[in-house]
Amino acid sequence: MTDGIVGIEKRLRLAGMLLIFGLLVEAICLLWARPLAFIVLVGAGGFLCAAGIVVYLYSLVSAGRARPQ
Amino acid sequence: MPLPTPLLLSLILFSAVLVSVLVALPGITVSQGGKILAFLVLFVLPLLCMAIGVSSEVERSKSTSFCLSCHVMEPYGRSLRVDDPSYLAAAHFQNHRVPAEQACYTCHTNYAMFGGVRAKMHGLRHVYVQYLGKLPQQIHLYEPYNNRECLHCHLGARSFEEGAMHNADPDLLPAVKANKMSCLSSGCHQVVHNVGQLSNVKVWKGDK
Repeated sequence: MTDGIVGIEKRLRLAGMLLIFGLLVEAICLLWARPLAFIVLVGAGGFLCAAGIVVYLYSLVSAGRARPQ
Repeated sequence: MPLPTPLLLSLILFSAVLVSVLVALPGITVSQGGKILAFLVLFVLPLLCMAIGVSSEVERSKSTSFCLSCHVMEPYGRSLRVDDPSYLAAAHFQNHRVPAEQACYTCHTNYAMFGGVRAKMHGLRHVYVQYLGKLPQQIHLYEPYNNRECLHCHLGARSFEEGAMHNADPDLLPAVKANKMSCLSSGCHQVVHNVGQLSNVKVWKGDK
């Protein structure tokens, strides 16, 4: 059970880190008024945020699976 | 309607700070309140920030300064300041017949169904060509300029409908409205950007 909690915390941390990087990329792109900023915002920022959200959702699913054990 | 950039940046930084708190203290998600907080901070807020951010960038991509920020478009920007009313783009820009801050987009978007989406797909291609592709020696439109784009504003306008030249021939206006006779290439309004001749023209210094 403790291992499960540690695993969830690790995934939450990973999700959080990905989201922080994604949000920072978005913030930089909003300050950088160039056409490339749009691509970086959608490509890098969008990918990092999406990855963070997926890892967070996976941590929820894996927590649900771990509980019955 | 996109949020103003400072407000959006504040929302992004606020979200990043809250995410940092969760990264530093993931144990708080054990409680019911912590779980709700985690859902808001790790799911709702990032989605909201991305949605508003993308919307804001899409809106910004319509601006004249955005289009002219690519080096290859610089002569087209100068052509908006030609001090000669026969230059169609310059006359529209300088007299605010198009919004000056969205001058390129107003004339070069497509007013048909999904025209805005098509214009943005073209814009993405332009960004690709600018950074990764080979820039053409001379820039051409993808297809001949459609009168629909002119008529979006001019149709029904008195100066257009009752203009002496437009009514000199009774067949002219119907042909123009049906896109059978081009406004630009039929010899009437053929001077548009003419970037090849900009070295010989006087430049308007106003409205800087």
